[in-house]
Amino acid sequence: MTQPATGTDPHPLDDAARAALTDLVVRGMRRGPAPDLDRLVQAGLALAKGPVTMPTASARTLVGGWSRLPAGSPERERVTVLYHAFLPVNSRLRELCTAWQRRPDGAPNDHGDAVYDASVRDQFDDVHTAITQIIRRLADQVPALARYRGELGAALDAFDAGDTTALTAPLSDSYHTVWMRLHQELLLLLGVSRAEDEALENLLVSRAGG
Amino acid sequence: MSTASSAPFPGVPLIPYGHGHVRGLDAAELGTHGMEMDSLVRLGLPTVPGLTIPASRAGDLTDTAVARGAVELLSALASRRVGQSERPMLIRLVASAPVPAAGLPPMVAGLGLCLDTAPALCAAIGRAEVLYETWSATVRSIAEGALGVPADDIDGVVLDNPDPAKRLHALLEMCERLGSRPYPDDPAEQVALAATAKLARWRSPRGRRARAAQSLPAGTPIALHLQALLIGPWARSGHGSATSRDPDSGAFAPSGVFHRGVRRNESPSGPGEPVTRLPGGADLLRAALATLEHHFNAVAYVGFELRDGELALLSAAPYDHPSPAAAVRLAVDLVAADTMDRATAVLSVAPQQVQALLHPQLRLRGGEPLLVRGLAASPGAASGRITLSSVDAVERAADGVPAILVMTETTPADVPGLLAADAVVTTGGGLASHAAVVARGAGRPAVCGASALRVDPVAGRVSADGRELREGDVISVDGRTGEVYAGAVQVRPAAPSAELDVLLGWADDHRRLGVRANADTAADAASAVRLGAEGIGLCRTEHQFLGARLPLVRRVIMAEDADDEREALVALADAQRADFRDLLRAVGDRPLTVRLLDAPMHEFLPHDGDGGDDDWQAARAAALREANPMLGVRGVRLAVVRPGLYPAQVGALFAAWIDVAAEGVRPALEVMIPLVSIPRELALAATDVAAVATDVARRTGVDIPYRIGTMVETPRAALLAGQLAAHAEFLSFGTNDLTQLTYGFSRDDVESRLLATYVERGLLPSSPFAELDGEGVGALLAIAIRRARAARPDITIGVCGEHGGDPASIALLEPLGLDYISCSPRRVPVARLAAAQARLNAAATQGEDAMASMIIPEGLS
Repeated sequence: MTQPATGTDPHPLDDAARAALTDLVVRGMRRGPAPDLDRLVQAGLALAKGPVTMPTASARTLVGGWSRLPAGSPERERVTVLYHAFLPVNSRLRELCTAWQRRPDGAPNDHGDAVYDASVRDQFDDVHTAITQIIRRLADQVPALARYRGELGAALDAFDAGDTTALTAPLSDSYHTVWMRLHQELLLLLGVSRAEDEALENLLVSRAGG
Repeated sequence: MSTASSAPFPGVPLIPYGHGHVRGLDAAELGTHGMEMDSLVRLGLPTVPGLTIPASRAGDLTDTAVARGAVELLSALASRRVGQSERPMLIRLVASAPVPAAGLPPMVAGLGLCLDTAPALCAAIGRAEVLYETWSATVRSIAEGALGVPADDIDGVVLDNPDPAKRLHALLEMCERLGSRPYPDDPAEQVALAATAKLARWRSPRGRRARAAQSLPAGTPIALHLQALLIGPWARSGHGSATSRDPDSGAFAPSGVFHRGVRRNESPSGPGEPVTRLPGGADLLRAALATLEHHFNAVAYVGFELRDGELALLSAAPYDHPSPAAAVRLAVDLVAADTMDRATAVLSVAPQQVQALLHPQLRLRGGEPLLVRGLAASPGAASGRITLSSVDAVERAADGVPAILVMTETTPADVPGLLAADAVVTTGGGLASHAAVVARGAGRPAVCGASALRVDPVAGRVSADGRELREGDVISVDGRTGEVYAGAVQVRPAAPSAELDVLLGWADDHRRLGVRANADTAADAASAVRLGAEGIGLCRTEHQFLGARLPLVRRVIMAEDADDEREALVALADAQRADFRDLLRAVGDRPLTVRLLDAPMHEFLPHDGDGGDDDWQAARAAALREANPMLGVRGVRLAVVRPGLYPAQVGALFAAWIDVAAEGVRPALEVMIPLVSIPRELALAATDVAAVATDVARRTGVDIPYRIGTMVETPRAALLAGQLAAHAEFLSFGTNDLTQLTYGFSRDDVESRLLATYVERGLLPSSPFAELDGEGVGALLAIAIRRARAARPDITIGVCGEHGGDPASIALLEPLGLDYISCSPRRVPVARLAAAQARLNAAATQGEDAMASMIIPEGLS
């Protein structure tokens, strides 16, 4: 669990800086020059390492504090229900990304088998249908989340247009990269740790299995 | 098998599994699934009872009367009935195309369920929620595909009802409210609607996209299949898939996972359990896979179902993409069992797979302390310092310090660290964790789910099994075995397995081209010999002049008079002699081709600010600086302007040969003169070398046996190969330079800026530096070989460019009549296999007669 936000905010930030910092925490990093993040670096909220700018631990705590939906609020309850629907789909998505990278026996997928690749791509449709439905409802509570529908759809479109890196490549806005951001944002909203997230996902998946 | 195989409806064929063959039907009608089940029945293997509605008549199943007949026939085949009180039957609808295809309509598993039949089924399974999951998935698919209920509404209901029983009732209610008709109770009506839904799905945009992605004709039909789904208790029932080989070792062993419960779609969720833990044991599965492996002459892949611990096969096919280890071991096993001949075995393994088998791995000597074992999530191996945060990993990497990122969890914030680290270890998460996906995407070795590892980032400690390490301590990770060791372990290519050695031995029997290696050091040469190289086809001597010896060679090059030059050369000689001695020992009695110095002069000149305080040096360096060093005073040209250079090198080489000859080692020396384009250049250099040999013989009484030859790197040298052969006992094509000079490409410039565009726009099929240009460079090779052999029939001719290790290039080189190819040591096994395959493929296209008339030389050099 992240620390709850305290009343005395040691980092007075304007809205633009808050948005930039939230975005940085959700993305985990920015590559390339980021002059807009200089202030955050000076405030000790971000670190610039070569071409990469990353949030510091205190920035993650800070963003965790102000992102969290208030306990007991109706929004929080609704988002929690949707988060529970998200987790089995999340598991499925990771399995599909894995299937794209390696064959069922564990050998790397050399993409020499059009039937296999088409089958993986086809199954992304099921995940995409499920996630867009969840995002649509999440956006009723947290409108900013609506953008993930477009971003995920764009990754699939890019893939269908021939960009074979658009499913899982780590440094581009691939389906998996965008998905990780969505996941991270859900965790921030609910103040759920990764360990709790993993345990809950295992429980929900095993319950649905069979 | 029941005898009820006659179609109850004239004109609508219903083909029980196993009967397609006798009806004269093939894949066009039966689909791939019908064909597979046919051959399984004929092999006497246990199968799920089922029948096929042929592709040309698949639409007939949407007729309730036809569907009723199909359900009746299925009941007879399974000796069970839908709705019977004890162990009732359910029906599953499956589609398959005439060829293997992705994007087929997903199966519908819960046909025959209605509120009346559910209680008996729940009792049989023992887990009601499993049945309701299957049931609601069935209703959902029919509601959307056949009853016209809007998909959005269905998705909403599914999302709002995580409980499967409530979801089912909500879906049934929705069909009644929004559907063209209520969801029927009658199994035949359900089957007819399911068939309608499946056919619609195949016609939908999604189906069309899938067909396009695989280049299948838009009008590809599908056959429909009904299977009897026999319900049993949850704990002793399940479904899964398995291959016949362990992917890591390649050994015959059922390998796969199964899931308990009822199969409701193609891709079960969750990790499942290994098939070794099948209720009822894996013996039957093992026997079925053994039968199938010999039937297919390939790794077998089956889908299966278990009911009350009893195995029934759902599918079986040759496994198209076996792991490299499985492919190699299968080939060796099939030859041992007399089901395959050696030539076929040699052709059955792709050279790239051999490369994958020689992956980097930890060089374990035994006794390395194992810290923890996790899941092998991404292949590769690395040693580095324990790093507990993404930021530290980025920092260490920036300092050039190898880092192993050790994490409990992965967030997006860890991605930069993951990319910067040399390897990743996570304590949580599985093979499909975000960390594993990112590590594979970035090509980093990763071990995931090392749950015995305790990580305390605050204290900077990790511990496992009573062993504690601190942040910054060195650990070693093997992403292919999932092992993490405390301490540094050397990383090197894996040694060939016993099976691979056998297969490569067969390849050696079938190839005509010799395989040598390019190696500059004793260590490289030893590794090349270990991997089967027949000699060293290229030893570059440049490295002997770099590092600490650079100032000496600088003195040679910048010398203003002969005395100065000689002095510097003497200082170099001893160091070179020691280098050669180690190398010659590693080479043993095999041939060793030593290329005399061939470096562009600028590599030896002081750079700005490097020794620049010496005015004389700076002025001299400026005077020697070249506009285009790659085409300047290098190779034999430098030897012509610095006449002492080659004799000094050859003197050191010959002295080293005498040293090792005294130890009983007699390498076959080949002295190679680089960058010749004028036959007289070669004659001059050859005379110098001969003078050294004479001198050595006079001083020591030892006649050094050596051969003299030249690199062929310029188009002129290739065209004048006949004249070169007058002075050369061997020729070796340097295809890298020859490619540069044939195209007029400067490799350093075009590789980064031009070739990708050229390949993309179709101007080149691939980089000519990766794959030999058969039309241009290959034609020069052919001319040179013909002219050289005409002038000197016993001349030895090889290739020592990088193309020597590329299978596609080897296929082009094979018919040219070379004696050998020489490649980097780690490519030697690839080259051995590729050379054999090139020979076998050439023989197959030329026919048996041509093969018989070819002379396969005994030795190669």
